[in-house]
Amino acid sequence: MRGVLRRAGLALGLPIALLAVWWISTEDSQNFYLPPLRTILRAFVETWTLDRLRADVAPSLARLAAGYALAGIVGVTLGLLIGSFRWIRALLEPVLEFFRAIPPPVLVPIIMLFAGIDHTMKIVVIAVGAIWPILLNTVEGVRSVDEVLVDTSRAFRLGPVARLRYLIVPAASPQIVTGLRQALSISIILMVISEMFASSNGLGFTIIEFQRSYAIPEMWSGILLLGLIGFLLSVLFRVVENRVLAWYHGLRRAQRSS
Amino acid sequence: MRRSFVALTAIAALLLTAACGGSSDDEPQSEGTTTIKVGVIPIVDVAPIYLGKEKGFFARRGLNVVMESGQGGAAIVPGVVSGQFHFGFSNVTSLLIAQTKGVPLKVVANGVASTNRVGADFGGVVVKKESPIRTPKDLAGKKVAVNTLKNIGDTTVRESVRKDGGDPSNIKFIEMPFANMPAALQKGDIDAAWVVEPSLSVAKDMGARVVAWNFVDAAPSLTVAVYFTSEKLAKENPELVRKFTEAINESLAYANAHPDEVRDVLKTYTDIDQVILDAMTLPLWPVEINRESVETLARLGQADGIFSKAPDIDQLLGPATDSQ
Amino acid sequence: MTVTTNRPADTGDPAVGGAGSRVGDSRRLRGAVLGVTGLAMLMLVVELLPHTGVVHEQYLPPTSRILAVLVDQLGSVEFWVAVGETLRAWAIGLAIAVVAGVLVGMVIGLVPALRALTASTIEFLRPIPSVALIPLAVLLYGTELRSTLLLVVYASFWQVLVQVLYGVQDVDPVAADTARSYRLGVWGRVRYVVWPTALPYVMTGVRLAASVALVLAITAQLVIGSPGLGALIARAQASNAIPLLYALVVVAGVLGVVINLVARAAERRVLAWHISVRREVPR
Repeated sequence: MRGVLRRAGLALGLPIALLAVWWISTEDSQNFYLPPLRTILRAFVETWTLDRLRADVAPSLARLAAGYALAGIVGVTLGLLIGSFRWIRALLEPVLEFFRAIPPPVLVPIIMLFAGIDHTMKIVVIAVGAIWPILLNTVEGVRSVDEVLVDTSRAFRLGPVARLRYLIVPAASPQIVTGLRQALSISIILMVISEMFASSNGLGFTIIEFQRSYAIPEMWSGILLLGLIGFLLSVLFRVVENRVLAWYHGLRRAQRSS
Repeated sequence: MRRSFVALTAIAALLLTAACGGSSDDEPQSEGTTTIKVGVIPIVDVAPIYLGKEKGFFARRGLNVVMESGQGGAAIVPGVVSGQFHFGFSNVTSLLIAQTKGVPLKVVANGVASTNRVGADFGGVVVKKESPIRTPKDLAGKKVAVNTLKNIGDTTVRESVRKDGGDPSNIKFIEMPFANMPAALQKGDIDAAWVVEPSLSVAKDMGARVVAWNFVDAAPSLTVAVYFTSEKLAKENPELVRKFTEAINESLAYANAHPDEVRDVLKTYTDIDQVILDAMTLPLWPVEINRESVETLARLGQADGIFSKAPDIDQLLGPATDSQ
Repeated sequence: MTVTTNRPADTGDPAVGGAGSRVGDSRRLRGAVLGVTGLAMLMLVVELLPHTGVVHEQYLPPTSRILAVLVDQLGSVEFWVAVGETLRAWAIGLAIAVVAGVLVGMVIGLVPALRALTASTIEFLRPIPSVALIPLAVLLYGTELRSTLLLVVYASFWQVLVQVLYGVQDVDPVAADTARSYRLGVWGRVRYVVWPTALPYVMTGVRLAASVALVLAITAQLVIGSPGLGALIARAQASNAIPLLYALVVVAGVLGVVINLVARAAERRVLAWHISVRREVPR
């Protein structure tokens, strides 16, 4: 019981302190653009009703999921391919590095020229931005598989498919997961940015709407919600990661203590 | 090990010196000049202020005017309120919205107005060449692109449709940058688009035709955008505001009288192609704000439900005088 | 025995150390030739697509047109000023983020109580997309350099912090105990044990932060309008100057590649002593 209390206290201590500081310092704020925390929280409760969550947040999250999944599938597949053949990697590396360096918000108007204006465009934007960490980390993961193991698998006459399934993918999975994690944060950013153009619903769209119509407490409440969603998604990711990579975490722990 | 330490410190020091050594914001000022910052968007509408600066209309009054380009009212209004900018440029509807929300602003000079000529205005609603849409009332129920939702674009387009006898209530407005509209039109993602120059000429170049002149339909001689300042500055430094207004008025008159020089000055702050520059219709830059048209925009906005309450035009423009 | 080397890198490093062997050289040459070929193929595709009418010229100008506009820009003072502004925002933001990240990371990492206390806050703040701060930045600093910096520092700081925390955590317990038994004070421990262990992670963090900082700098300029490459891109868009838009995007990409290469080279330099110790699997 004391253990749980202690852990909860540690987890919540600093956040509560920070919130308190925020509350107190803005309590009498006259600044139009920095309202008191109390007003923001009230706006939060009033704005984000179940209806609104369904109408605006759900489509955003759905597009996020679709774009992320697309980036994941294409990224891992291509990454496995490119990583396995040195000449393909050498051929494509400069091109990929170049595309990766283009800031995603710049790509949105360009993608709009090709992909139209509704859901497709947004999903494509998210996927195009999020694919890079996945792709590049997968390539790196495939590359750094222990040579000895590869040779061993060849000595045991494992075909390429079997090798992929039993050696390469598991060996590269920590690196792939790193890429997937980076891609998650990028996806969230792009989800918001893609809704700043040609949109009629969505969390990012709503925040911008609030900003434009000078509904400042509501705008802040939207930003808070965005942060909350980002946090929840990363916690979710960590839970899944711990399940999938349990073997790897255990291995590292053993190594470190040996 | 020590080398890496030194290397890292060296890199950090280099970055920091690059940071400190690069500031070029401070300009030496001659006696009696005040530097004022004006928040503008790099579009055709603000050509007069660039032209006026070139011609020395501001310098003559002791004003060193520095234009800072924002990305629309969303960046400019907060900038003016916080004192970042002394003056700003914004369309009338945006300012009306701000006024209803209690943002303390004051209009100081006219910005840009419609040419009031059907067939030759700087903004209009275009459709693809093959489109079945022929008149404004055909826009009912269609997808129309505007650059900002719940703003001057959709309110004036609805008025066009209304005046032509159509039903504006189920037009589907879609928000996108002007630059993307010609492409979206061609691809059929949208049925029509409200565009202003230079996108208007680009669209016409691609074969589009204009079906509605929404600025003309909304009100005669529509004042589209204005220059404004914060109530604070207006109260604390009315002299500065007066000088700015005078300089702007002189610039507006000059721009109206010298369209070729306007096309030239556009080259200095936009990237508009020469061919388009020559083909574009320039807006009108009257010195007087058409107060009646502002009242019409307020009325239309209220009818469309974009204001939470009736805008107080007196507070924004100052009390009506006989000359208006 | 490790299954893979655990480096949070995001793309392959060419063979390090042991350079000078004939095989290594010819392999690297082949790699370079292939890379250039890849780029050439891209340029060819972009040249042909608009000409063959697969894509309308309005949406995708051919490579020749983009390059022509790009060369034009290289002669324009305004362009170089904008690039300078972008690099300035990038450099300042990165410097602040790195210094702050290393300091905060070290302090938190070395004091277990602090780490437990701040863990939840870090986990909450880290995923907040920097774009959420755009309205705040605009409100506070308008279109000045500082609003760009707010976004750049915020995003890059977390990259560095997270890596530093990993690094401090990775300290070999035997080495730590040895240092303690030699009665090295906190500063001694940091200098001789913690810092060398954390250094590879710090460099990775700096490299990741460098890329993020550039992307955020240009993004901030694009959306807010503060001076720099992003503002030029926004202007090209507003003026419907599509070839110029593509040319500037190419510049942004090239900048990113250059920065990545410089960061990689710096990383190799600083870690030269370390890589020979680590098990690097060059291929």
